[in-house]
Amino acid sequence: MAHFVQAIALGLLIGGVYALMASGLTLIFGVMRIINVAQGAFLVLVAMVTWWLWNRTGIDPIVASVVTTPMMFGFGWLSYRLLIARIRGSSPSMSVLLTFGFALVIEGVLNLTAGNKFKSAAPSYFEESFRVGAISLPKAQVFGFAAAAGVLAVLYYVLHRTWTGRAIRAATQNPSGAALVGVSAAGTGALAFAIGSATAGVGGSILSVLYPFFPASHYEWISRLLGIVVLGGLGSLPGAVTGAAILGLAETLTATYGSLGWSTLVFYLVIMAVLLVRPQGLFGARLREDAA
Amino acid sequence: MKSRTRRAHLVAAACLLVLAVYPVINPWQPYPQAVLLLGFLLAVQATSWNIISGYAGYVSLGHSMFLGLGSYTVGILAARWGVNPLWVAPLGGVTATVIAVLIGAVVLRTRGHAFVIITIAMLLAAQIIAVNARDLTRGSDGITLELPFWHRDFQNIPFYYAFLALLVLTVLFSAWIRRTKLGTGLIAIREDEGKAATIGVDTTRFKIVAYAASAFFIGVAGGVYAYYLTFINPVGSFAILGSVTIVLAALTGGRGTLYGPVVGAFLVNLVSEAATVYAGGVQSRVLLFGGALVLVVLFLPKGILPTVEAWWRRRRPAEVAYIEPLAVRERVPQPPEPGDVLLSLRGVSRRFGGLTAVDDVSLDVRQGTITALIGPNGSGKTTLFNLVTGGLPADSGEIWFDGRRVDGLRPWRRCHLGLGRTYQVTRLFKEMTVRENVVAPLADARWRTMVSDAVRGHEAERAGELLDLVGLGRFADQRAGALSYGQQKLVELAQVLMLEPRLILLDEPAGGVNPSLLGRLTDVIRELNARGVTFLVVEHNIPLVLDLCDPVAVLAGGRLIAEGPPGQVREDPAVLEAYLGDDRLPAVR
Repeated sequence: MAHFVQAIALGLLIGGVYALMASGLTLIFGVMRIINVAQGAFLVLVAMVTWWLWNRTGIDPIVASVVTTPMMFGFGWLSYRLLIARIRGSSPSMSVLLTFGFALVIEGVLNLTAGNKFKSAAPSYFEESFRVGAISLPKAQVFGFAAAAGVLAVLYYVLHRTWTGRAIRAATQNPSGAALVGVSAAGTGALAFAIGSATAGVGGSILSVLYPFFPASHYEWISRLLGIVVLGGLGSLPGAVTGAAILGLAETLTATYGSLGWSTLVFYLVIMAVLLVRPQGLFGARLREDAA
Repeated sequence: MKSRTRRAHLVAAACLLVLAVYPVINPWQPYPQAVLLLGFLLAVQATSWNIISGYAGYVSLGHSMFLGLGSYTVGILAARWGVNPLWVAPLGGVTATVIAVLIGAVVLRTRGHAFVIITIAMLLAAQIIAVNARDLTRGSDGITLELPFWHRDFQNIPFYYAFLALLVLTVLFSAWIRRTKLGTGLIAIREDEGKAATIGVDTTRFKIVAYAASAFFIGVAGGVYAYYLTFINPVGSFAILGSVTIVLAALTGGRGTLYGPVVGAFLVNLVSEAATVYAGGVQSRVLLFGGALVLVVLFLPKGILPTVEAWWRRRRPAEVAYIEPLAVRERVPQPPEPGDVLLSLRGVSRRFGGLTAVDDVSLDVRQGTITALIGPNGSGKTTLFNLVTGGLPADSGEIWFDGRRVDGLRPWRRCHLGLGRTYQVTRLFKEMTVRENVVAPLADARWRTMVSDAVRGHEAERAGELLDLVGLGRFADQRAGALSYGQQKLVELAQVLMLEPRLILLDEPAGGVNPSLLGRLTDVIRELNARGVTFLVVEHNIPLVLDLCDPVAVLAGGRLIAEGPPGQVREDPAVLEAYLGDDRLPAVR
């Protein structure tokens, strides 16, 4: 029983981290109908920078997100202005191909600069755990979860309580309508892309502690994150959180009771099973597509 | 136009001839042969990818999975059965096709983005299975295949011809698909999936078939490739970089064209070889391919062949002779007597959030009539059309057509029963020619119809007749997007007529059409009506409605407020109220 509770607790902690990582993806899709395939590469990039900072200065990897978050905000903003904005208005598949190419470029650059070896930031508390009754919660996971929950709360606040957030949500629902009332689609796009990238600042820092990584890790991460948003329904933040929790649980339960090797596969099986029953995902809205 | 395609085929045949004799002329050069051979392999993959991602527009980022599936099928079966890998290579294609159908059946039922995401995920999932299902695949150790049975003096020449033959078959297969109604249906899906469904294209089935078709030859090639390598392992067989080269090749050459992916494959393969020789291997290849993909998307999004073709067309535009529009005919055909009820709406409602767009509407359309549906803007007319054709599901109520309840059927099923529609804002497939637009509809769900020839023979003849009927025959080879708005409306009508529908829903047929074309339009409607086609017309041009239609139904605020002969409806106080006055508006002081 303690075994089971332990697995559930771990699954939820991991789910929280996944939720944060997927939130940027779903936000960007919501506003621009762009699937940012480079989001996984953003995470690995941040993990690499975090590892480097930790290695050089000894700064705690999770605290390092204070540096990496604004860095990614700027990086996202620039990426939007220099790349994404150029293909606005062409077919959605072009944006997938563009961001996919961008991900490869990041991978290639990391390969050449940081080398092709597994890395992991291991701060002093890495091996320690909190004990609650019979179950033990690794400190790294708990801190990661806390940081993720904090960032998600801020994100929710920004989207729902500030003018900027309202502009972003307005542009999500009706770009031309939003433009008519003074919300610039290009401006909101750049902002949403920057915020979406900034979530990778914290997400990547957490990643560097919890998982070993190397430049090509981004494939694994992006397919995991994309799985989460498809499961939750593209563009929905509550959907991403729910999807992340479900998949975090599925993964830890398989790892506990099955084998570690198959746990990733269970992840994909769950996604296919959900799509079989609900093609638009758990929280996916059916939009009015009949406009004619 | 015709001669240009013929010229392309000639060039392709000449290239094929050179490639076929190359090993005979120059047999002792293994390196260029190997480069060409890998070029053939990539071309097979890019041409196959083009069927789902070029024709149908659903991009797959995990297509190299099928190569791996073919390799593993052959590697496993050849060892189990003790046969030569070449004999079981076709089974590699079968595995790939079966897996494609299974994946497609789950993710291709809806429109949109899930597909591309799942394709990446499935490629990685296949790798995980290959690593973990050790009993079957020997895990990360990989599988070693037997060495080729032929003498070493023949080097890889048999493989060279095997891949060349596969390439020829794949290109022929792709060309055949493009010529059938399946092909036009796929392009229609790429251009406007919702519209495709209302002209009888079973979009779900078409997409799944296209995905399966795009997998088969890659699977076979994977089997041969495994034999060529004599060793397969999970990382090599399910490599994402393989997918990248496929996408890059097809995109560079020209997505959606027949020869573009082949041209692109040879280019990408050459650059890749050059990178290996001069820039030091795999590490730099990721950066190189990624950068190339970004550059192609930004600066050459259409690909080489279409860009060259567009440049050529600009230099030598095809002239279209100007012909005076045909005069309106004198004789007005007698409308047939109204018959039984053909379309019946019973208490149909549809809400969007708090707004009830269609509110408990009951309406009968009798066989042989031209029934009008009028009402102020926002009264629910177009929504009603969407409920009838299946673009939107109704929240409540029943819709019956020709004695069958249809409100639960998918749009293409309703179309096959004889329901056709046009749109308020035309929705032609703008990248297709006018003729292709008219042949795109499918009148039934039979597989035979799907694989029948679209651009030649009976179908093309009928398309020509229908275009003549609406007076636009001379524009048959023009891009639909190049026509004026009024002409597009007429082409859309011809497109619907291809289905030989029993009931046609016309959404503002006169909107934006100039008076001379309008005369032509009413002429055509009367003519068709005399032949037994029933019409339900939404129109704001009231004189036209009163002249053409009988009876007239009036919608206001989602409710049906009047119905009857035009003269009677014109005098109806409720109708005048709806159009001219509204007590909810502030009074004018």
